[in-house]
Amino acid sequence: MMSNTTMKTEWVVGMSVAAALLAAGATWARPPFTPEELAEQKAALIESVARGYDLWHGARADMTTNGLACGNCHPDTAAANPQTFPKYMTMYGKVIPFREMVNWCIENPQAGARLDVNSDDMVAMEAYAYYLHRGKEITPGLAAYQTTPIVVEYGTGFARKPTGLGVDTKP
Amino acid sequence: MSDIVDRSRRNFLSFAGKAGLTTLVAQAVGINLGVVDIVRAQTGKRGVEPFRFAIISDAHLYSMPDHKFDAQLADAVAQVNAMTPLPDFVLFGGDVAQNGTEDQLVKGKKILDDLKMPLKIIPGEHDWYLDMGEAWRGLFGEETWSFNHKGVHFIGLNSILVKDFWTEPGLTNLERMTIMEMLESPIPGPWGVHEKQLEWLAKDVKDLAPDTPVVIFTHSPLWDYYPRWNFQTSDAPEIREILSKFQNVMSYHGHVHQTLYNRIGNMSSVAALGTAWPWPYPPVELAFPETRMNRADPSISTDGMGTQVIDLSESFEGLVQYKPFEDSLTPFMRDGFKV
Ligand code: HEC
Ligand SMILES: [Fe+2]
Ligand SMILES: [Fe+2]
Repeated sequence: MMSNTTMKTEWVVGMSVAAALLAAGATWARPPFTPEELAEQKAALIESVARGYDLWHGARADMTTNGLACGNCHPDTAAANPQTFPKYMTMYGKVIPFREMVNWCIENPQAGARLDVNSDDMVAMEAYAYYLHRGKEITPGLAAYQTTPIVVEYGTGFARKPTGLGVDTKP
Repeated sequence: MSDIVDRSRRNFLSFAGKAGLTTLVAQAVGINLGVVDIVRAQTGKRGVEPFRFAIISDAHLYSMPDHKFDAQLADAVAQVNAMTPLPDFVLFGGDVAQNGTEDQLVKGKKILDDLKMPLKIIPGEHDWYLDMGEAWRGLFGEETWSFNHKGVHFIGLNSILVKDFWTEPGLTNLERMTIMEMLESPIPGPWGVHEKQLEWLAKDVKDLAPDTPVVIFTHSPLWDYYPRWNFQTSDAPEIREILSKFQNVMSYHGHVHQTLYNRIGNMSSVAALGTAWPWPYPPVELAFPETRMNRADPSISTDGMGTQVIDLSESFEGLVQYKPFEDSLTPFMRDGFKV
């Protein structure tokens, strides 16, 4: 159910958005992307999301000295509230971007080494968190507002090659 | 029951699997562990002799020396030891260890040994899947148990059993454990207590009268909260069916690392705070949203954790009091709530 159908649905949604824009007579800066180009863009995004998923689950040893990974405390990136950034955080005393809060959680609960904010890995951290909050309302600045990620039935929450183990292979 | 129970007595209570055995031996050595009086538990006529018990849960200890989670579990033990009146015993809700290694379990047992009162414990998935419970059983005894205490029948079950996903692909023990450690792992699927424990449970309660006060203790909730994170027990409907003859059943569980209450039929369900970290509430509506705790402040490393104590009255009413390390409770929960 997860992998193929989800991939297909998302792809179809992407396509129908493009179609709707066309129908509405939207002007394009250049001719619309071909389905192949769109598929490539999507694949590149999912590759970053997948890297992010691995990073949230301990793929980089230097992000922790006490064994903790983001996934310990933020399953499915819950309580990371990416769509509420930028916002005021009391530990900084100012408005900060999501990436800075990622580094805060690396340095504090995990006592690890912060990521370069412009690195591909930081983009991946962000890609995974935002992808699991897709479709959620963007509400910058609401520091006290606890949001929830999208509901995931099983799988990773994004289209990824199944492992072939357990229910990951469930149709 | 005395406030100070020495090691050998305590071990002995936690190792004795069946109430009958515990009672027999306890009487034989002439100490009152408070687990006697099976007859009254069976008829329930005389009601409960009021008492309290505490719950500590989800310590998730790592192997590193002086890890912050060691201190957090020790804080929980100190908190329970300082309760007045002292609870009669402590239930531990599973996930002593993070990676299921023997050193982590031994460390957990050592910290829990400082409790002034007896301990009963059931396993969590983090305790189990490295060696399928071998080290855990060696340290803590049987994972399926029942005993009677002051008119109440207590049951403990191992609710974290999943279908074998490792044998066929030939996974190592460590691979199996690593897969189970991830809450939102796409691989293991929903867990439960499985057939053998269901049969055991049916037998265990067969001769109990419907007015017997029953407390059931598992790692995961006995209702479908958020199956994705195994906030569920797959055979909970069967468990609830077996226990449906009782007037009132209280279910207490760990695993969700948060405050939470629910009620289904004759069963009330209360979650335990963990001592390691709090978990966010999953993306589902709660039937009793007033039992949600405050958001944890990540700059206070002990926020969103704690212990809990339950006072049972003569009529088997429970007063649930969460005892968070920091300011986690909404006004609704501050003075406890009745179940
Ligand atoms: C030991 C537990 C723990 C670990 C590990 C952890 N965090 Fe956090 N984090 C928290 C808690 C608790 C909060 C506050 C949650 C809340 O507001 O409900 C938080 C908050 C956040 C927030 C801000 C959410 C908001 O709305 O203010 C972000 C972003 C975040 N974490 C990202 C991460 C990332 C990325 C990692 C891994 C590098 C990580 N966290 C690791 C406990 C943890
Ligand atoms: Fe846990
Ligand atoms: Fe657990």
